[in-house]
Amino acid sequence: MRISTIAFANLKRRKGKAVFLTIGIAIGIGTAVALLSLSSSIKEEIGSQLDRFGANIVVVPQSNNLSLDYGGLSVSSVSFDVKQLKNEDAKNVLDIPFRNRISNVSPKLLGAVAVEGRDILLAGVDFESELMLKRWWHIAGRKPENEQDLLVGYEVARALSLIESTTPATAQHVSHGGSHDPGEDKSQFKIVRDHLKVAGKDHNVAGVISQTGGPEDQMIFGSLAHVQSLLNKPDQLSLIEVSALCKDCPIGDIVAQISERLPQAKVSAIQQSVRARSETVERLTRFSGAVAAVVLAIGALMIFTTMMGSVIERTKEIGVLRAIGFRRTHIIKGLMIEVAVISVLGGVLGWGAGMLASWFALPYFAETGVAFEFQPLLAIVAVAAGLIIGTVSSFYPIVRASRLDPSEAVRYV
Amino acid sequence: MLRLSAPMRLCAKLTMSFVTIEKVTKVYEADGESAAVKVLSDVNIEIVEGEFVCLMGPSGSGKSTLLTIVGAMNHPTTGRVLVDEIDVYGLADERRADFRREYLGFVFQQHHLMPYLNSLENAMLPLATASMSSREKRERAMNVLDKVGLADKASRLPNQLSGGEQGRLAIARAIVNEPPLILADEPTGSLDTKTGHEVMEVFLKLNAPRQTVFMVTHNPENSALAHRIINIVDGRIA
Repeated sequence: MRISTIAFANLKRRKGKAVFLTIGIAIGIGTAVALLSLSSSIKEEIGSQLDRFGANIVVVPQSNNLSLDYGGLSVSSVSFDVKQLKNEDAKNVLDIPFRNRISNVSPKLLGAVAVEGRDILLAGVDFESELMLKRWWHIAGRKPENEQDLLVGYEVARALSLIESTTPATAQHVSHGGSHDPGEDKSQFKIVRDHLKVAGKDHNVAGVISQTGGPEDQMIFGSLAHVQSLLNKPDQLSLIEVSALCKDCPIGDIVAQISERLPQAKVSAIQQSVRARSETVERLTRFSGAVAAVVLAIGALMIFTTMMGSVIERTKEIGVLRAIGFRRTHIIKGLMIEVAVISVLGGVLGWGAGMLASWFALPYFAETGVAFEFQPLLAIVAVAAGLIIGTVSSFYPIVRASRLDPSEAVRYV
Repeated sequence: MLRLSAPMRLCAKLTMSFVTIEKVTKVYEADGESAAVKVLSDVNIEIVEGEFVCLMGPSGSGKSTLLTIVGAMNHPTTGRVLVDEIDVYGLADERRADFRREYLGFVFQQHHLMPYLNSLENAMLPLATASMSSREKRERAMNVLDKVGLADKASRLPNQLSGGEQGRLAIARAIVNEPPLILADEPTGSLDTKTGHEVMEVFLKLNAPRQTVFMVTHNPENSALAHRIINIVDGRIA
């Protein structure tokens, strides 16, 4: 016979209450585990999607001479710069140790060209990577397929009378991602002229980019090799846009690695994009944390009230134990053993239930088939959390029980 | 731990009382709903080792309060209680719990057995915190069950025992750690005459090897078996 014998006998005797408390803790822990597990998986998905949605690193040649502007970023004037970016540099970006974190590399050559008597910014791009990067572009027409094909920005198209306004029903659209949603029709125009003379040569207007309010509205896009030839700058690049998946690695590390690989270039993170990503992900984490905390607090309150009731119910028993020589610490130990057994059991069950729930629920919340992660650390945290919640919320009732005046307690009956 | 060494105890036994209740007064303070009540007034009692003393008095005379004060459970308002020369209320709370375990055996009127423990476990209860092997605890508990005639009912739960058997089990629990002082609060109060006799026989057996018994009772038949009867009326020794 030990104090634990009494504790276990008590648990057996009050099976209903023990089961109720275990379920209560399991629900609290299970909800928290499911929320954290789901949010961890969804966070990864959102992070990945945000990382793919636009560049978060830009590589430009090292220069003090800033003369061109692209999307709020100053781009060095190619003509005066000695340290040029080359086609090879775009490939070298993918040689860094964190290369598996890079989802897109989009090299560009920028230059002003004369188009029907106007100076317009011409960008040579790799259409495949560019369209993957600029997922928000809506293109009226088709995607460029050969060297003569151009994509024209909305303002340029309007100025050159390539388009005319129309109703949404008659507008022609191609979504470069192949998932164009007719409900999101913004460009109310149609292409009326599909030929354009750029730098004295004939080109096809494959498509017009719907108005974005960004720099692309004022630009014409052609294939990189063709623009390099048109501008007579073979193998040269003005900038490289990089999209990095930075879930578990600081963007600064990727920037440092690219800088090391391209010493002739200036590599910088687009802080706005990085901050937006981290804020979105952080908000999601905070929300899940807050909901989990509320659920756990409700669980703790339930344990508190149940334990208070249990102490009142056991006043006589505790009084008898005190009368026959049990110290306060012995009473606390006995009750703590009961709470610990219930809490650990609740924690284990809660972890199992939470993981199971998140496994079932994940397909309904994440679209891109995020893998369900078995997290052994979460199991340890769940059991520890169950134990902490159980003991903390029972602490006051248990201490109160240990302070019962034995003569009063025995007199109750 | 708290007990005096054997020669000291022998010396104490010969020269002074084993239990000394000295000028004890108990007042229950007013609590908003009821006024202050003086339950005991200037009580002085001396009990020598091995004595069987019965405390008698009408309801509300302060018998049970005095018993809980001797039982180190209820702090007197004034005065002191010495058991084996130990000033019981001079001890810190946890040490007083040790004192109860080492020196006292309680028998309550309602027995207060643990309904979820069998007879053997109930008898063993005061040994739960003792530092001895499980086998030793078991042997001691079986020994006292045998003494009170319940050895064959060791595995039964209290609700599977008769009233008299429950009373004897309560005594077994009170004596399992061989306390020198047994305190009993109307142990036959809830029993019929026949089972009351059963229980009293056990008390007499216990008292034979010089275990001191201080018993509160209403029953004149029980008190007739005691060495001495102390009457208490309105909180004063009559």
